[in-house]
Amino acid sequence: MAGVWIFSERYEQLLELLNAGRRLARSMGTKLSAMSQLDPEKAATLFSHGADAVLVLPPLSENPSLDAFIPVIVAEVRKEDPDVFLLSATLRGRELAARIAARLNTGLCGNCIALEIDRDDGALRMERLVYGGAGLQAVTCSSRPAMASIPPGTFEPAPADGEGKGVVRTLPAPPPSAVQIIERKTKTSRGTDIAEARVVIGVGRGFEKEEDLHLAGELAEALGGEIGCTRPISAELHWLPEEVCIGLSGLQVKPDLYVGLGISGQIQHATGIRSSKWICAVNKDENAPIFAVADFGIVGDLYDVIPKLIAALKN
Amino acid sequence: MDFKLSEEQELIRSNMREFAAKHVDPIAAEIDENSRHPAEVFQKLAEGNWLGIPIPQEYGGAGADRLTHVIAVEELSRSCASTGFTLSAHVDLACTPILLFGNDQQKAKFLTPMAKGENLGAFALTEPGAGTDVMAATTTAALDGNDYVINGSKTFTSNGPVAGTYVAFAWTDKEAGRKGMSAFIVPRDTPGLRVGEHFKKMGLRASQTSEMIFKDCRIPKENLLGQPGQGVQIAMTTFDHGRMGIAAQSIGILQAALDEAVQYSKERIQFGTPIARHQAIAWMIADMATDLAAARFLAYYAAWLKDQKQPFSKEAAMAKLFASEAAMKHTTKAVQIHGGYGYIKGAKVERLMRDAKITEIYEGTSEAQRMVISGNVLR
Amino acid sequence: MPEMIACFKWVIDEAYIRRGPEGELDLSSVNYKISEYDRNAIEEAVRLREAHGGSVIPVTVAAPEAAKGVKDALSRGGDRAFFIADEAFHDLEPSQTAAVLAEVIRSRIPHDLILCGEGSGDLYAQQVGPRLAEHLEIPCISFVQKLSIEQGRLIAERKVEEGLEVVAAPLPALVTVLPDINVPRIPGVKDTLAAAKKPFVTVKRDELSGKYEAHLATLLVRATQMERQCERFGTQPEDVARFLESLRKKGAIGQKGG
Repeated sequence: MAGVWIFSERYEQLLELLNAGRRLARSMGTKLSAMSQLDPEKAATLFSHGADAVLVLPPLSENPSLDAFIPVIVAEVRKEDPDVFLLSATLRGRELAARIAARLNTGLCGNCIALEIDRDDGALRMERLVYGGAGLQAVTCSSRPAMASIPPGTFEPAPADGEGKGVVRTLPAPPPSAVQIIERKTKTSRGTDIAEARVVIGVGRGFEKEEDLHLAGELAEALGGEIGCTRPISAELHWLPEEVCIGLSGLQVKPDLYVGLGISGQIQHATGIRSSKWICAVNKDENAPIFAVADFGIVGDLYDVIPKLIAALKN
Repeated sequence: MDFKLSEEQELIRSNMREFAAKHVDPIAAEIDENSRHPAEVFQKLAEGNWLGIPIPQEYGGAGADRLTHVIAVEELSRSCASTGFTLSAHVDLACTPILLFGNDQQKAKFLTPMAKGENLGAFALTEPGAGTDVMAATTTAALDGNDYVINGSKTFTSNGPVAGTYVAFAWTDKEAGRKGMSAFIVPRDTPGLRVGEHFKKMGLRASQTSEMIFKDCRIPKENLLGQPGQGVQIAMTTFDHGRMGIAAQSIGILQAALDEAVQYSKERIQFGTPIARHQAIAWMIADMATDLAAARFLAYYAAWLKDQKQPFSKEAAMAKLFASEAAMKHTTKAVQIHGGYGYIKGAKVERLMRDAKITEIYEGTSEAQRMVISGNVLR
Repeated sequence: MPEMIACFKWVIDEAYIRRGPEGELDLSSVNYKISEYDRNAIEEAVRLREAHGGSVIPVTVAAPEAAKGVKDALSRGGDRAFFIADEAFHDLEPSQTAAVLAEVIRSRIPHDLILCGEGSGDLYAQQVGPRLAEHLEIPCISFVQKLSIEQGRLIAERKVEEGLEVVAAPLPALVTVLPDINVPRIPGVKDTLAAAKKPFVTVKRDELSGKYEAHLATLLVRATQMERQCERFGTQPEDVARFLESLRKKGAIGQKGG
């Protein structure tokens, strides 16, 4: 039996993978099965999102370490022989995917960001980033199943527009993992060093007065980022300390995401944000040089745009 | 011929690059602005044996070759010329003469803690009235029982304010001319030695420079370095080593200027195109890269000769002369490429240009180097 | 006293990668380095040795050019190294690397603990560690940010989406470490010089019995986003939504904001 399988331990990611998976299943003319650890009622909701079958992993009573399921999943894959097996690249998912692939003796496209079936040869073409994002690699897999782990957020959640019918099957409970969970801590710590921050919000002269900086703070909060600024903000206006001044004579930041608010993008500042993975800008001057060095820009008044961004992020 | 560095030299270079990027880059502008000696950086340099690279392990050093030391000074200077020079002055001007001319006791007592980085060294030769003209010095050392008593004053002593051990020069027999000057090891805490306030300088501001005043400064006879009357020879031999250090420092400055110029000229748009595509800028960068390569080969060659135990005095002078003049010339160009932004405090090229100037002056001016080189060539 | 293996990869320093005129990756002037994450693995092994004794054995599978990397790993605190080197080991995929490591480790290197970086600096496939654990049939703990050995058991804090889990596992085990676990020391000059005198074993391809065939075929590798995209958006709510959507697609923000 063939088919496209998806696995995630998280419901949101299941929906995303269903979206990716049903596209593949459709173009391959095959069925889509979802696998997760959820109660049967919740499992049934996946049918309307495109699943044809749901394989439920039973709750683990003694030790909840998810890797206990590896032998069960592997046995099921061996039995059913799917063509494609997609897992969400959550932290747990990435480990699981690699270990399952090793047991199945197949290839895995880790942290896959795009995948499609080649119209000519029917092969699954998978793309991923290499060299710290400097390169893009496209691969195909010659073993069965072709596996990929897909970072959360890569695909939209599948809409609930299907017929909503299918089979729910519960898999056998495995013996507990050798890795014993002793304690769970749900707090997430937040760094304050903008040179190391994953998200940096840059503040520029587009802010009219110091009191308005709370807008930047709220956006930083929503994005989980830290605040930096251009030279005039720290050196002339003293609204923010020198330590967070970004640019030729200040810090070089290298976040995944940089958002410049009311920043014109003089080379002085632009030099300091060059190493950011993605650069965004909000500026009302459409000719501002920042737009030439930004990936995504919003041409508009920051006082109008920031609240909209925050609202959309909270939504 | 073999232009390839050893794997160890390459690894040590990349380790120093990482060290400098992590510990020196972030503070380089601040220590320049405040004329501050980064003691915390030297603590870390000591931990990594960077303060005694070419000193044998039996005397507390790392036991690597001179070329490795030159590479380390270059990479450190690329982040901060002051820090690179402080290291060079310590090793080349203070550790080296004790290594070459000291006896076993002196090496154990003075060189070993210096090479371990427990205290820094300084070289006290220049006097208010005696720069290139060493013979015009007036400081004297008179033998009194088992002590020498030093009187006089020195100036422009690099590392003066932060050193723990000085190699100082004084006349023991003024009548004997070149054979009348002697070298001494003077610990910082010796009564009668006063270290002046450090000078505020145009560039190289984080390197500490001061006057040294010797007033009835009494040191035991066993602190005489080498033989009585060997001072000028010790000074000249020391300079041969120091010049490789200055060449390395200049190369570091030049590399940093090139890095900055390349990066900026690719990003700065004028007349609708990055200025790097304007021939006027591109040619400046070509000249800069060429002189950098030439300077590096000269310096590495001098160090290689030293490591092969061959004469290297002329080559060290050539390396120092060429590298320092190239550094001055091209840091000026790098500022030019940056335009107004390069003239603003905080721009790295502005600091590089100020730092470059001293390399043409100290440890023998360019003119003095030409004297050394022509003396060798016209022999 | 634990015998600890630290696996490392000798990778292209991505800072030297340029974009060629045709959008290809220009690797003509690159330097190589020990993958940053693997430096954390070596460092953690060295720290555990400082606490418990034992030894640290860096192991790599690579082309012969990576000899410098072996010295580098030894300078970072390894006692002796295994260098599994062959011309055929250029561009191995993670499944092959893990299988080769497994054969050599199983047959020649006694171990209590294996440490790997969470991923490599070049491919960042994050597979070699977990796959290796499967081949050796030992427990695997990934994305570890704190590690200790207590009464012969491994105690680790691993990062998960919701926060972190403190877990225990019997030895031998394999962990993959996050960069936050430690700050790798920069080797001193003496460390580098001493590394040249430390023993290492070179293992050649023909000493191995496995076939190690690839599962993946690379169709292309090209440069990405060295240039900025310069997309513009308006200020209407739907524009803002599209803007955020673009960021999500690029993985610049997660599903729920940051």
